[in-house]
Amino acid sequence: MTAPDSPNAASPGTPILVGAASGEYMDRVVVIEWRVAPGDAVEHGQVVAVVETAKAATEVEAPCDGVMGEILALVGDEVAVTQPLGLIAGGADAPAPTPEPNTPADPAPREADDDARPGHDPVVRANDEDRIIASPAARRRAAAMGLGLEGIVGTGPGGRIKLRDVSAAVRAMAASPLDADAQAPSCFPDTPFPLRVTRTGIETGTPVLMLHGFAGDSSVWHPIERDLAAHHPVIRLDLPCHGRSPHDRYASFHDFVRPVLEAFDSLNEGPVHVIGHSLGGAVALALADQRPGMVRSLGLLAPAGLGVEVDSHILDGLCRAASPDSLAPWLLRLVVDPSHITDGYVRAAMATRAAPHIRACQAALAARLFPNGTQAFNVTPLLRRVVVPTRLIWGRADEVLPWQQALGAPGHVALHLLPAVGHLPHLEASAIVTSVLRDLIATAEACPGPPDTDVLTHEVHVA
Amino acid sequence: MTAAPATPQNRPSLDEHVDMHRLMVVTRTLEEQLGVLHKAGRTRGPIHRCDGQEAVGVGATAALDPQDYVTTTHRGHAIYIGKGLDPRRVVAEILGRETGYNGGRAGHMLVGSAAHGMMGGNAIVGASIPAATGMALSIQMLRQDRVALAVFGDGAAQTGICHESMNIAALWRLPVVFLLEHNEYGLTAHHSAQSSVPDLHVRAAAYGMPGEQIDGNDVVAVFQAVARAAGRARRGEGPTLIEARTYRMEGFSTSDKGGYQASEERKRWAARDPIVRSRTTLVDALGTARVEDVEQSAAEAVIAAVAAAEADPYPRFVPHAASATHAGPADRVTEDA
Amino acid sequence: MAMMRYAEALNAALHEAMTDDPTVFVFGEDVATYGGVFQVTRGLWEAFGDRVRDTPISEQSLTAMAVSAAMTGTRPILEIMYADFMPLTLDALVNQASVYGYLWGDQVTMPFVVRTQGGAGLGTGAQHAKSLDAFIAHIPGLKVVAPVTPADAKGLMLAAIRDPGPVVVLEHKRLYNTRGEVADEQGPTEIGRARLARSGTDISLIATSRMVLEAEAAAEQLAGSGISAEVIDLRTLRPLDLGAITQSLAKTHHAVVINEDWGFCGYAAELSATIMDHAFDDLDAPVERVATRDMPIPFSEPLESAVIPTVDRIVEAALKALA
Repeated sequence: MTAPDSPNAASPGTPILVGAASGEYMDRVVVIEWRVAPGDAVEHGQVVAVVETAKAATEVEAPCDGVMGEILALVGDEVAVTQPLGLIAGGADAPAPTPEPNTPADPAPREADDDARPGHDPVVRANDEDRIIASPAARRRAAAMGLGLEGIVGTGPGGRIKLRDVSAAVRAMAASPLDADAQAPSCFPDTPFPLRVTRTGIETGTPVLMLHGFAGDSSVWHPIERDLAAHHPVIRLDLPCHGRSPHDRYASFHDFVRPVLEAFDSLNEGPVHVIGHSLGGAVALALADQRPGMVRSLGLLAPAGLGVEVDSHILDGLCRAASPDSLAPWLLRLVVDPSHITDGYVRAAMATRAAPHIRACQAALAARLFPNGTQAFNVTPLLRRVVVPTRLIWGRADEVLPWQQALGAPGHVALHLLPAVGHLPHLEASAIVTSVLRDLIATAEACPGPPDTDVLTHEVHVA
Repeated sequence: MTAAPATPQNRPSLDEHVDMHRLMVVTRTLEEQLGVLHKAGRTRGPIHRCDGQEAVGVGATAALDPQDYVTTTHRGHAIYIGKGLDPRRVVAEILGRETGYNGGRAGHMLVGSAAHGMMGGNAIVGASIPAATGMALSIQMLRQDRVALAVFGDGAAQTGICHESMNIAALWRLPVVFLLEHNEYGLTAHHSAQSSVPDLHVRAAAYGMPGEQIDGNDVVAVFQAVARAAGRARRGEGPTLIEARTYRMEGFSTSDKGGYQASEERKRWAARDPIVRSRTTLVDALGTARVEDVEQSAAEAVIAAVAAAEADPYPRFVPHAASATHAGPADRVTEDA
Repeated sequence: MAMMRYAEALNAALHEAMTDDPTVFVFGEDVATYGGVFQVTRGLWEAFGDRVRDTPISEQSLTAMAVSAAMTGTRPILEIMYADFMPLTLDALVNQASVYGYLWGDQVTMPFVVRTQGGAGLGTGAQHAKSLDAFIAHIPGLKVVAPVTPADAKGLMLAAIRDPGPVVVLEHKRLYNTRGEVADEQGPTEIGRARLARSGTDISLIATSRMVLEAEAAAEQLAGSGISAEVIDLRTLRPLDLGAITQSLAKTHHAVVINEDWGFCGYAAELSATIMDHAFDDLDAPVERVATRDMPIPFSEPLESAVIPTVDRIVEAALKALA
């Protein structure tokens, strides 16, 4: 067995780490899917694997461009978050190393660590651009813990390594000690940056665009995304102020939609099927309205903007929660069956919103869009204008947005009311929701093309 | 006016005059010695000599009581000596020695000795005026038997604070004497280029206080004018402006290249040298031998003082606790260093 | 214990100090018969007569007189009506008070107080709304205090009057009518000691004068996002309570410094540099500065609000530090 920290093992590739995706509230994960195979070309940011804690799934991205090398953790393996899942060879020409599955949880390498460790000498950097950006406090704590900064993923502005990142690495090491020196430089995202786009699924066909709800991110789609991805290209967007999209301030719903439209335009896709949940549902409607002909069907799960009331206590609670303990009670308000909100689910949800900055931006957003328990924007007129096949899916036990708000919909919109389901139908009733959405997509694709001539023109251009 | 005479007609006494003469010689010798030391490169920074003006500082301070306060200018050596400071410690301060009145921190322009009521040379032109005015306010608040004397020049008379302070002093009848030591020049600028009127004592009228012009090279005249003004101040009758006309025989300072004082003018004023005039009077009264004896011992004392001060040690730097920027442990560390 | 307005607490301190010490006197423009334009000296003239004096508008000389009166046995308290007029006092503070205290060593003390008030927000315009803290706190030998609460208004004023050296008390026009508990036996508040206005763990909001209230409001808003902000009321601008700052930074690792003076070369800049000097390794993000924009303060309400530090700007800075 090759020790992952030996010089030979370190050179063939950059390790793929759960890293920042895990946040500081997870320590171990189970690999549930590999989306690339050794020898595949991968791009920085591409989803290469999916890991899971309890029922929460997290996508793991390639840390840089290259060729997929060795897979170190097989589907089904449980590994520490700091354990490399696999390696990416440095450039496209580099030979793919022979796959040699490892059992990362095996304690053997741990013993070899101390002797094999190449020492704490700082990695020699080619130039200043490669300098590791870390706060003084993070540097001091890492030094005190004997931890190199090289393997720590920075979550601060411009990828700056902050104390919380060192803490997360230290916590993870405590769970499964790993030689920090084996970790290679991480790639930092550029700032400023556009909305986060995650692509999965097959390569051909009309893509499905998924827009999550308030306080979520693209990972919330996991319960239904795998099935859709088996039949369609899937594009998931992190909404502004959410997930890994920029955390800015927005004065109005109109303001908030603008970057989504820009992101959609820059995707340069043809017509898409759009699925939106809650706030994402309202955004989906705005997208259909603003880009007529570019949307072939609309699947709206408990969409916002169709009524007046919204439970502001739940929104405030979600924004305020700064730990899994304070988050869990509010997540439980979103479902009928508490068994969906496992400890792992809570910790994963917290991981997506660990930075106070995200929570504060979302609180500010809630204050604008949902002031005083009121939905300050109304997309009902847009729903009335929509001509593409549209379905509303709503839980009868939704505490955030009451299902009666669906009753303002025009006659050509179908309504699916799910008994004993709360605000997260895709989590609580994933089978039904999947089947309704696939039926919707099939219906839309069976229809002739959209009637709008502008769009026909556009399609010609695309072709 | 009350019955009490504004000026005792029998003062200064002959003894007082002899003493003033002695102090003028001390001052003159001191200035000349400093000139020699400067040429030899044994002084530091510019030195502002008062050669030719000794009668103003010496005469004015001789008219004060020991507990009275005086503030002066950057050209204050005659005041220091007149107010009773030890020449040896004055020289030590001028030479930056530990034994100086202010441990070498002040230098020749800013000497102070609270015990003598010598409340500072002041090198911000005009600042001696509100300084003495504030001391007079303090005296008035505390109902003390004291006066404060502000010595300032014709340049300082043009400042805003001069106007402010004279107005306040007259308004509140503060026990302050404003002694305008008019030496014709503000640095290189003749007073005619600085003042809209040739005589400055006339400004006293604007504040409703007495103003008079005197011969500043006549030590007895200076004594008597200041004694009159101090008497008014002590009696609660408020301030007086005395314009003492004199002349700066040397340059502005030891770094002055000169060239702006006409030789005719210098010659005219040299003929009115205050020490020569004082000597003439005293020789008539006491005889040449006695006066020369006084002068010689005064000069020798200064030369000895300069030699002694030059041998004194330089001070060691100590941080200033009251200027601390931080409270607490970090600052203590700094101070211990 | 009594509820008191800030102005009343200052007045109580002046009254008490003048009663206790006959060498204390108060002078300044409109302070006697009118009781001060902000009524801080109200009733003192009636009680102490000639020891409370209206003066001509002569700030330069009055300040120099405070310096020399203090050197000769009294404890003057001078009111400079607006902090915007403090530049007129600078020669007396910089060239007189500062230097003679050092040059003459133990020969003299300089127990005088300059009271002034600064701050914007009431439409007083560009010459009556500034906070020139940096000019004043820059001067060696001076102590500078800025009370926020009525209790500290009384405590720091008493301490300032009893201090052997010059003390400038920076009041704030928008604090005069604020109310707070003041203990009946409220004595001097130690100069050079900060006050922990609110305890927190995520970020330190280090503020002076009325900005402490803005920082507290910001902390409340941040709490709504699950962020625990600590608020430090410095109370003394010079000498600075370094320990309070470093202790807080050791806990929170993030700092926003807030001061109503201009930012460039301002007091906030000094705080930022001080943190860099003494707590660099505790920093998890650059220190954020919130100060008045570097321009004159305009009159019209929306313009004035755009220039001075606000709760929103503090929250924004805190979030930037925590990002």
